[in-house]
Amino acid sequence: MHGWAGKVLDINLSTGAITSSPLDMGIARLYLGGRGLGARMLWDEVGPGVDPLSPENVLIFTNGPLTASGYQTSNRFSVSTKSPLTGTVLDANSGGYWGMQFKKTGHDALIVRGRSEKPVWIEIKPEGVQIRDAQSLWGQRVRAVTAALGQSNHKRNVLCIGPAGENQSRIAAIMNDGERAMARGGPGAVMGSKNLKAIVVEGKQKPEIVDQEQFKFMLYETRKLLRASPLTSQALPEFGTSVMMNILNSIGALPTRNYQESQFEHAEDISGEALTDKYLVKNSSCWACPIGCTRISKSDGVEGEGPEFETSWAFGASCGVDDLAAIIEANALCNDLGFDTISAGATIACAMELNEKGLINSDLRFGRADLLAPTLEAMAARHDLGDDLAEGSLRLATKYGAPELSMSVKGLEMPAYDPRGMQGQGLLYATSNRGACHMRGNMLGLEVLGLPKLIDRFQVQGKSSFVILHQNSSAAIDSLVICKFTNLGVSEEYFARALTAVTGERYSTGDLIHVGERVWNLERLYNLREGLDAADDTLPPRLLQEAVADGPSKGWVNKLEPMLKEYYRGRGWDERGVPKPHKLEELGLATMMEAA
Amino acid sequence: MIDERIYQQFQEVGRDLYVQNMVSSHGGNLSMRLGDRVIIKRRGAQLGRLKMHDLVETGIEKNDSGVALASTELLVHRTVYKMTPALAIVHCHPRTAIAFSLSREEIVPIDNEASYLLKKVPVIYEEFASGTPEMAQDIAKVLQQYKIVMLRGHGSFAIGQTLDEAFFWSSVLEEACEIALSAKLIGEPFIEYRKMSEAYSRW
Repeated sequence: MHGWAGKVLDINLSTGAITSSPLDMGIARLYLGGRGLGARMLWDEVGPGVDPLSPENVLIFTNGPLTASGYQTSNRFSVSTKSPLTGTVLDANSGGYWGMQFKKTGHDALIVRGRSEKPVWIEIKPEGVQIRDAQSLWGQRVRAVTAALGQSNHKRNVLCIGPAGENQSRIAAIMNDGERAMARGGPGAVMGSKNLKAIVVEGKQKPEIVDQEQFKFMLYETRKLLRASPLTSQALPEFGTSVMMNILNSIGALPTRNYQESQFEHAEDISGEALTDKYLVKNSSCWACPIGCTRISKSDGVEGEGPEFETSWAFGASCGVDDLAAIIEANALCNDLGFDTISAGATIACAMELNEKGLINSDLRFGRADLLAPTLEAMAARHDLGDDLAEGSLRLATKYGAPELSMSVKGLEMPAYDPRGMQGQGLLYATSNRGACHMRGNMLGLEVLGLPKLIDRFQVQGKSSFVILHQNSSAAIDSLVICKFTNLGVSEEYFARALTAVTGERYSTGDLIHVGERVWNLERLYNLREGLDAADDTLPPRLLQEAVADGPSKGWVNKLEPMLKEYYRGRGWDERGVPKPHKLEELGLATMMEAA
Repeated sequence: MIDERIYQQFQEVGRDLYVQNMVSSHGGNLSMRLGDRVIIKRRGAQLGRLKMHDLVETGIEKNDSGVALASTELLVHRTVYKMTPALAIVHCHPRTAIAFSLSREEIVPIDNEASYLLKKVPVIYEEFASGTPEMAQDIAKVLQQYKIVMLRGHGSFAIGQTLDEAFFWSSVLEEACEIALSAKLIGEPFIEYRKMSEAYSRW
């Protein structure tokens, strides 16, 4: 077992069939694992027109060639499926311990297909794989299920859905290790549609490393760089991801009240500094992670992981809420119910604006911290207006006649970075294959943090080159699979060398980025096959037409059109956003063009 | 029309290269990738005195009238952009690094910063030192794995996401060579202070 375990587990919940087959190593070398391998398998498994919540959709859990190797942050894993929120290709990934444990079961991927008649859970152990009755677990929340199934970080790990997933909310997450989330795009709803409550893994197999000496050197050098970077050695450990709150607010790129403004007057009250000062219990970290950005926070008896920056933004600035205790409660509730916190908060913000504009009849108004928790409960149970909110902001806003008030791209709610104050971020959102996502390319690094070097955040010409490079890089990192926070201190060059040391297959930096480009283009082909086109590569009209009224981004809209034209050319796509034959040939995707 | 913000980056890095003695009056060149286009210094322009009209835009794949004006190293830049993830290239003539390149196959720095950032810089050799397809291919192949490469007796090619970043690698290399030269002149035994430094030559 050098990098790859060499096996794919396949479980059909309709028939109860459990099979194992060899991993296609030709595909593995081209797509690595994680997101890339998942996208490649999804291409074959789920064709156009399949209802994401039907038995014909699949869940593909994947780890990568670095997973469980011990390389820094090699704990992550992915799930790939067709999104019930966006109708696009979807992958979501998570840290914690489950991915490492899954790799140690001796599998690179797990495909779950079909639909069980009754609620079930899956247990994967060295002794074998079992499908077990989950009727007593159905209806239970994430913490309770995780405890009931025997979560033990280094030995036995639980992945499950909460009530949100059971009730097929399109913004439901899959949770692992209690409070980690594979959040975006609604994978929890797909799991719920299969009547699958949980997957528990126990493994004993240790990955083998081809070049131990070089691997040790890579571990040493990576640790050195992560310790040297103030971001990974000080800012993230001390303040968590919420360290970004005051930074983004200071430059006028913190979307406020459903993107009506770009600065929040109470940002400091919900910042990483405030979280650390008032509510932090201790730090925590995922397996093999020296950064330790995870917060364990406590407020009014609620204790748990988080909130992350995007969560504090979604329930905070986006909803006009300055009460960090209420945000901590909303975050803990999302984790227990199994919601994507970004989409949940952004959808509530959308409802607040709909209400303030008289389009719905509700008590929801910007600043109503007291309504966050009850609204989330109603969403999970699909009660009253909560039933509409559980569908996500685009379906909600469309139903009430104002789709333009959904701050989403392709139906996925935008996170906490205003594209009017970060031009490249806008292009990143508009072209992201799973919908608006800040994890599909690190424009924050370039436009705000100066990683590797600061570029002008208002520059338009040439911005597409950065977006393309970082999209390719993120797809590669998601295919290894490691945490993108390592990339804040360590370049792709190190990842390529670590991959070479582990697998014995020679990958240069260029090769690794090329894998990412292949993955990105395959995802694009998948979306084209589903009927999406260039018209879907856009931003909400507010960001293209309504200039920021005040602050450091005053007067700016996002100038998407020229960036998008340049982007298509730079990607080797035609003006309709379709990859040209020479590009697909170069990436080994030529045979897929016809299907798309 | 080239954006003023882009011109400013060329002007600043070009001036700094000249001031730091890393190019002669008319030597070296810079380029940036913009999608499927490249902006490169005009042939014969002085890096230390770049004007807006000294920047030329042309295609990475396709020729147009821009090629008539572009630097003689255009082929190398295009090939590097096609074969690597580079978004910017700095080509300069760092004097001490060139001197070291005359007597070795690789430059392995001994100072802390360059050890940390570069580990090792390969030295390659070409019979015709400028602008040939063979040279372009060889440089691009090395830059798939390294941030910066030395051409023996000629100069360095460094890549980055920005001109600033590529300039940084060039500057770090030259500084490393100056330090190594000074250490040689002092002539005292080297005290190894870097853990696992034996692995740098395998980088």
